[in-house]
Amino acid sequence: MNHPVTRDTINLEEASILSHDAFAGDQYYLRLHAPMTAETALAGSFVHLRCENTLPMRRPMSIMRTSEKEGWIDILYKAHGHGTRQLAQRKVGEKLSLMGPIGVPFKQNAYRQRPLLIGGGVGLPPMVFLSEHIRRTAKNVSPFVIMGSEVPFPFKSVPSQIMLAGIPEGTIAAMPLLEDWGISSRLCSLQAYPGCFDGYVTDLARIWLDGMDSQQQQDVEIFSCGPTPMLKAVAALAAEYGLPCQISLEEYMACAVGGCAGCVVRVETNNGPAMKRVCVDGPVFEASTVFPQ
Amino acid sequence: MALDNKKLAVDYCGLKLDSPIVLLSGCVGFGEEYTRIKGFSNRDVGAICLKGTTLEARLGNEPHRLAETYSGMLNSIGLQNPGARVVVDDYLPMLDFDETRFIANVSGSTVDEYEEVTRIFDDSPIDAMEINISCPNVKEGGVTFGNDPEMSARVVAACRRATKKPLITKLSPNQTDIAENARRCIEAGTDGFAVINTLMGMSIDIEARRPVIGNNQGGLSGPAIKPIALLKVHQVYQECKAHDIPIIGQGGICNANDALEFIIAGASAVGVGTALFYEPLICKEINAGIVEYLEKHDLGNISDLVGTLELNN
Repeated sequence: MNHPVTRDTINLEEASILSHDAFAGDQYYLRLHAPMTAETALAGSFVHLRCENTLPMRRPMSIMRTSEKEGWIDILYKAHGHGTRQLAQRKVGEKLSLMGPIGVPFKQNAYRQRPLLIGGGVGLPPMVFLSEHIRRTAKNVSPFVIMGSEVPFPFKSVPSQIMLAGIPEGTIAAMPLLEDWGISSRLCSLQAYPGCFDGYVTDLARIWLDGMDSQQQQDVEIFSCGPTPMLKAVAALAAEYGLPCQISLEEYMACAVGGCAGCVVRVETNNGPAMKRVCVDGPVFEASTVFPQ
Repeated sequence: MALDNKKLAVDYCGLKLDSPIVLLSGCVGFGEEYTRIKGFSNRDVGAICLKGTTLEARLGNEPHRLAETYSGMLNSIGLQNPGARVVVDDYLPMLDFDETRFIANVSGSTVDEYEEVTRIFDDSPIDAMEINISCPNVKEGGVTFGNDPEMSARVVAACRRATKKPLITKLSPNQTDIAENARRCIEAGTDGFAVINTLMGMSIDIEARRPVIGNNQGGLSGPAIKPIALLKVHQVYQECKAHDIPIIGQGGICNANDALEFIIAGASAVGVGTALFYEPLICKEINAGIVEYLEKHDLGNISDLVGTLELNN
């Protein structure tokens, strides 16, 4: 018989730790040698990591970058619970059991001209991945990336050389990686970090959108990942301006293959409310289905 | 023959299982989900028990539905499912019955609902049915039936009226006398047992001072419950052996040694669930470990080991 096309789509790899660097705010940057996952991961995909061999649950982590050629993937995480604190102890050269890539990614083509990518906290990684994908694959598309954090950013920001209409004077801090790629970005925080916008990511997004005429606004679509209150605000902003919006969610996860229905989110469908699995029905969803306005 | 080793072949309630391993209801969706993982095969297990199914579709409980605990985890899914008719019409045709046996998990809020769901699966290719009178995560039915021997027997009798296919009753550990309940279920016509379902538990977020689980409480699974499950299997086996009623022993099994303990205690087959979450290819290792043990002890088939426990004085 014909088996479902979903068969054999997730790898199980013993991934060596290539580098593991700590940043302020209990943030860690992890590079893993996981060549099979690096080959097929898409922006929005995640991996399910065994942080420590005695833990009964793996931990889902979104992917920040991949190198198909060199066979690595990058992960940014915050050590805030038992599992991630165990992960933070793991050293270069050790191996981690990794399942991946998993999940429905962000849309992969047919972008509008001005994608707006909004990442908050540990929701930054998929925004970097998506930026790189757009840069590589989409012509005449100019993303703008807004990042927010209330702990120091896990990189040294640089003053942006890419001017943007409508951005307040003094809001110049940018992510160096994106800057190198020629992608405009700006950082937001309420912690008065130099060069950052003093406010929420959605406040800066609104200022940027209001600097456009209604015709230009129709070139915008939003992609976002971050804490739930932020995603809710992003969804409301998208609805207010009538813009398409995809968001990436997280939830406690056991199997990560759709078997246990433990990681669900309530969404609105044409047939009424439904509980969708974040692992395989997501993690990327249309914002309007998760946060109906 | 899916697995090329006759030592592992089991006859369970007339079902020919190629391995004593049964993948547990609630852990493996509707039978196809784990095949997403490269290297995983439904052929590595004797049977797969599908997710709990009710007459009508259910949304299940609000998140969070999971919490990690010491050597285990809590879950409270709340029987999310699309309804028995959808499972039979849309899901079963997707399954490859050449690969393994498939068992439906029959759930409900009333005795009549259990009977009706059983009737729907009776008229389907499903190989057997597990009666879920032990789900700890719904307000009606489930464990409220399973903790009362009289109600348990009524549910089993109702399902028995609706099918001649093998009926496996999944017993709750959250009751005073599991053996007495088993005896009543045997009288009511069950063909086999699954022992045990999860134990009810709670986890609290000390900052929020709220339960982590959306439904406040959940079912505890994983290695933490294995000693409890093992004792329950031993107790139920004392009722079963005279009637030749086979048991699927389950609760925290994560390696061949665990599986062998359950079989020695009286289980004819062994359930694997939570262990898949952290070690998705564990069934291959368990099969290999069982074969190695049987060879070492010069046993021709896993059945030769069932209930061979000799108690201390």
